[in-house]
Amino acid sequence: MTLARILRHLLRYSTEFRLGVILLGVVAILAALSFASPYPPLDVYVVAPDVPPSRAHVFGTTSRGQDVFWQLTVAVRNTLLFGIAVAFLSRILSLVIGLISGYKGGWIDRVLMSLNDTFIIIPLFPLLMLFYFVMRDSMTWAMLALIMSFLGWAYDARLIRSVVMSLKRREFTQTGIFSGMTTREILMREHMPHVMPIVFSTTMNNINWSIGLEVTLSVLGFTDNNTPTIGGMIFWANQHSAMVAGVWWWIAFPVAVVVMTFVGLFCLALSMNEYIDPRSRWSRMSGGSA
Amino acid sequence: MRGYLQYFAKRFGQFLLVVFIGINLAYVITRATPIDPIEQSIALATSFGNSSPEAIDAMRRSLRELYGLTGTPIEQYLIFWRRVATADFGPSLSAFPTPVGALIARALPWTIGLLAVSTLITFALGNLLGGLAGYYQRSRSLKALGIIAIGLHPIPYYIVALVLLIIFGFVWPVLPISGGAAMNLPQGFNAAFLGSVARHSILPALSLILVGLGGWFLGMRSLVSNIVAEDYVVYAELAGVERRRILWSYVMRNALLPQFTGLAMALGGIFNGAIITERVFGYPGVGALLVDAVYAGDYGLVLGVTTMSIVSVSVGVLVIDISYPLLDPRVELK
Amino acid sequence: MQSTRSSFLVAAAIALAFLTVSGPAAAQGAPSNLPRNETLILENPEGTVENAGWFNIWAINAGSQSNGLQQVALDTLWYIDPEHGIDGVWDNSLAAEKPIYNDDFTEMTAKLRRGIYWSDGVEFTAADVIYTVETQIKNGAMRWSAPLALNVAKMEMPDPYTVVFKLKKPNSRFHALFTVRWDAVWIMPKHVFEKVEDPLKFDFNKPVSLGAYVLNSYDPDGKWYIWKLRDDWQRTSLGRFGKPGPRYLAYVDAGPPDKRVIAQMKHELDIIHDVAPEGMFALARQSKTSHGWFKGFPFAHPDPTLVAVIFNTQNELFKNRDVRWALALLIDIKAVAMASYRGAATISAIGVPPTGAHQETYHGPMQDWLKAFEIDTGKRKIKPYDPTIGQQIAEMLRPSMGEQIPTDPKEIAKTFGMGWWKPDPQAAQELLERAGFTKRGNSWDTPDGKSFSVRVVVEGEARPVMARAGSMIVQQWRQFGIDAKIDTAQGTLPTRRSAGDFDTMISWSVETWGGHQDLSFFLDSWHSQFVAPPGSPQPPRNWQRWSNPDLDRIIEQIRSVAFDDPKGIGLGKEYIKLVAREMPTIPLMSYNVFTAMDETYWTGYPSADNPYANPVPNWGNSRYMLVKLKPKG
Repeated sequence: MTLARILRHLLRYSTEFRLGVILLGVVAILAALSFASPYPPLDVYVVAPDVPPSRAHVFGTTSRGQDVFWQLTVAVRNTLLFGIAVAFLSRILSLVIGLISGYKGGWIDRVLMSLNDTFIIIPLFPLLMLFYFVMRDSMTWAMLALIMSFLGWAYDARLIRSVVMSLKRREFTQTGIFSGMTTREILMREHMPHVMPIVFSTTMNNINWSIGLEVTLSVLGFTDNNTPTIGGMIFWANQHSAMVAGVWWWIAFPVAVVVMTFVGLFCLALSMNEYIDPRSRWSRMSGGSA
Repeated sequence: MRGYLQYFAKRFGQFLLVVFIGINLAYVITRATPIDPIEQSIALATSFGNSSPEAIDAMRRSLRELYGLTGTPIEQYLIFWRRVATADFGPSLSAFPTPVGALIARALPWTIGLLAVSTLITFALGNLLGGLAGYYQRSRSLKALGIIAIGLHPIPYYIVALVLLIIFGFVWPVLPISGGAAMNLPQGFNAAFLGSVARHSILPALSLILVGLGGWFLGMRSLVSNIVAEDYVVYAELAGVERRRILWSYVMRNALLPQFTGLAMALGGIFNGAIITERVFGYPGVGALLVDAVYAGDYGLVLGVTTMSIVSVSVGVLVIDISYPLLDPRVELK
Repeated sequence: MQSTRSSFLVAAAIALAFLTVSGPAAAQGAPSNLPRNETLILENPEGTVENAGWFNIWAINAGSQSNGLQQVALDTLWYIDPEHGIDGVWDNSLAAEKPIYNDDFTEMTAKLRRGIYWSDGVEFTAADVIYTVETQIKNGAMRWSAPLALNVAKMEMPDPYTVVFKLKKPNSRFHALFTVRWDAVWIMPKHVFEKVEDPLKFDFNKPVSLGAYVLNSYDPDGKWYIWKLRDDWQRTSLGRFGKPGPRYLAYVDAGPPDKRVIAQMKHELDIIHDVAPEGMFALARQSKTSHGWFKGFPFAHPDPTLVAVIFNTQNELFKNRDVRWALALLIDIKAVAMASYRGAATISAIGVPPTGAHQETYHGPMQDWLKAFEIDTGKRKIKPYDPTIGQQIAEMLRPSMGEQIPTDPKEIAKTFGMGWWKPDPQAAQELLERAGFTKRGNSWDTPDGKSFSVRVVVEGEARPVMARAGSMIVQQWRQFGIDAKIDTAQGTLPTRRSAGDFDTMISWSVETWGGHQDLSFFLDSWHSQFVAPPGSPQPPRNWQRWSNPDLDRIIEQIRSVAFDDPKGIGLGKEYIKLVAREMPTIPLMSYNVFTAMDETYWTGYPSADNPYANPVPNWGNSRYMLVKLKPKG
């Protein structure tokens, strides 16, 4: 089954998947709205500060004189773009390593997996802080995305590898070899369709991971806080003591949106994982789901 | 026995590799810094004072001698490895001349305590609830618990910590929101101090636990629901063995073992969570130490903490890895 | 069909949780087993002290300075108050009288007070002073080694209570080293340090105090320090003013600004060092017992420090005075005041902070000169000064803050400042064009044909108000067509500042005594002899690396004039006129610190109505507050 058919199937049968699509749909619409923002996103003091949610400002305004709603749309867009960029880049790495390792086996597999485990075990946050420490003020978003994708491929590479390993033993692979397909052809034509579902779910998890790290780093002030991102909004809210000043909407709405994003992505990944595991799919399809 | 020794050797080799790569990575990154630690110290020392420029020059010369930043890059690298082997990272630049090792030794027990306790609770509680949910698949309350745990799991540690801070520090202030223990309590193994430590660790631990539960819950639930369909379980049920006995002695015990490998892989991530949680709650562990060190530009301390975290997480993983085969006889030692 | 065992486990866990929580929830943040009504809790802005057990303040970088150590445990010869002082601005602390110079300022005599004792019973004598200076000169890495080594040739001790300093070159302000403005050269206990092998490695734990308090206990994790009043407090210099009110002082790490506000609202923190303006407003709104330096808006205590846009005048773009003036004329200080301090700023157009005694000495008398001041834009002559801007800010705030905004013009001038430069984009354009810049569409090009771009360095989380001011200024420059951006230097600002690694930055290069009109505290360091070549580190405080022969002349004249001589004021005014014309930095406002004081347990704090001391808790000068504080009720 191609990925598209799998997704259609999930849409029909899995509540988790539907929930994820809805949540992410809302977030995506918010991000798209950012292009219609009436205020330049980098400017401050363009509206009256500290106005609670009202007709004129649906989500209220910040202490810096920005409209929370419109600021949030830009922030969501930037954060999502960042997450997707990291996920995309690290997919390449994890696919390449997972496929080679799983298919070739032998000492290549052992070496790659040793390397892989190293990156799983090493606590990444201190390393990221170390990078920030060294690059300080020249750490752009592009740089950060690149670094994170070099650190975040390990977990998924291992998953892909195990899928490939089980595929290797299957009959159709042997058939392919006997009929003279090259390794590359086998990988692309026979294995990929089975690998894609797991790539899909790991991508969702990876986006979660990278956005989570972005939020954490931004809140600590370790990123470029000029461009609005969700973590950046929370950072500025803290700078202005929004919590104690009573400007709760400045924190509540970004947090709500980011939680929606996370839960949505997680639901998508979860539903895809359940699909891959046939036993739970069977029990679900026979009417046992909530 | 020979199989186990081989396995142990392999795992230990992996441990050494991780430590080697990790520490090299850290060293390379810190050495690439454009920050000159001497200038940083001088700037810090003279920012409030009234010193003349010749004064600054004199200070600079003396500091360079003191900090020992001399020699070629190769020499410095070799000296570095010698120091790592003896766990001597030199003096901290922001707290000169206290050795970095002393600062880490002071902060480490706090982090280990927090991590150990919260990881244990999370592992136990998460697997327990997940196992029950996997076995009693019709139970509504367990399903509800599942949804809550799943809902919390993807949320980053920072946000959960922030929300807890707002609820318990602001809206309903019944729990302490900063520090490791109450003020003016001398540290020691007495009830008052330990009780205070326990109270101060409730919120940080809670943040870590709430986020971690979901992962174990889901894993255990799916493991258990697979095992439930296994032949030996079905046979036991048909043979009339008490349900509770099946649950604990047959299902849970077998499902729990694979979760241990998951624990090894998750340790790194949990440590990351501890760093940010310590920062939010002002908990005096190595996470807070690391963040402050980065802010202060104290590269000796940053390097020391990073190295130590790599080593400790690796040790944790090694311990779990080598004890796993002892617990589970089914494991093939290859 | 629940397993009863699991429900039992869950119930047990919950019960355990409640057991631990059930302890007294009230006293979480206050020190246990100390009487609260005898304890004053202050914030230590250094945060968590990593090197908690280190009290040797003379070794650089080692431990904390403002955990109470410099405020209440140490002492030195003289103090100058940033405010009006308990008994005048000048206080002879360990010295019995003011410094005595010879005619050509090559010799200074300090007569010491008798009857002062260290906390371990040893008497304070001239031997301690001489030991302090000699030890620091000998050890190059000690904090005050360099300035002492450069100035002191020889010392003599004619009797146990007199020290004569023979200086290497004439210096009418040598005594400044021993005069506390935030800190100064603190006196070391000879009888303790002479027994130590290496004074640089000695941690001085427990410290022996010369001040009125001794160390009671401290947190090995660096979060709190508790000091106790000495039984023999009359044998300290602070004792002249009476018995200090608080018996115990707790200097604590109060966490991020939100937690500080929460702590004070729970009455667990008596003095906050600084919070964001919003935090202060929240406190003022929600707590009946908290107040700032001003009872109402703008609340903050104006430190004698001048926040400015500092140009790197060694940078090609900013060598031309026209460019600097053009950028200044693009700034709308009202918007900057709103953005940074929510209006609670005290603006200043001249190179002297509008605090302490300076408004009477400099700002007021120079209004006429400022109003008449003219610059030539190349096409016309304009008078850029607008004396009413302070009032305009007050008017802007009146609708939302109502009665809290004063109406009396003198009050307004004191709280908001007097005037500033009018924003004049037309004049800015003319000045830039004269300097060879060209406008291309909506943006500007430098004389080299490159796009005119400016980076403003700000300090991020450590100084949020500065970062906000920077954001606003960048926005105003951007709206004019200049490619301006903020550059956040989280933690690296001091290094970049001294390295000259910036185009412009929001920081301060002007710091004064506050209570005294002398400007040499910062001005002396602006002499061209101290300007470093590009690429080399610049010693404080001439961060703008500006040299000017007229400035040198003024500075050299000040050096030859006695400290209290009124001629110094005239020279100060010449300096002000010079920097107004040349604009090496764009003065913005004073550094207002939102120090918040809680009256639940203590009263008698200094305030704008009763400015007898500086309440900002990390200043050495804040100790004078302690003798006036009385327990409430």
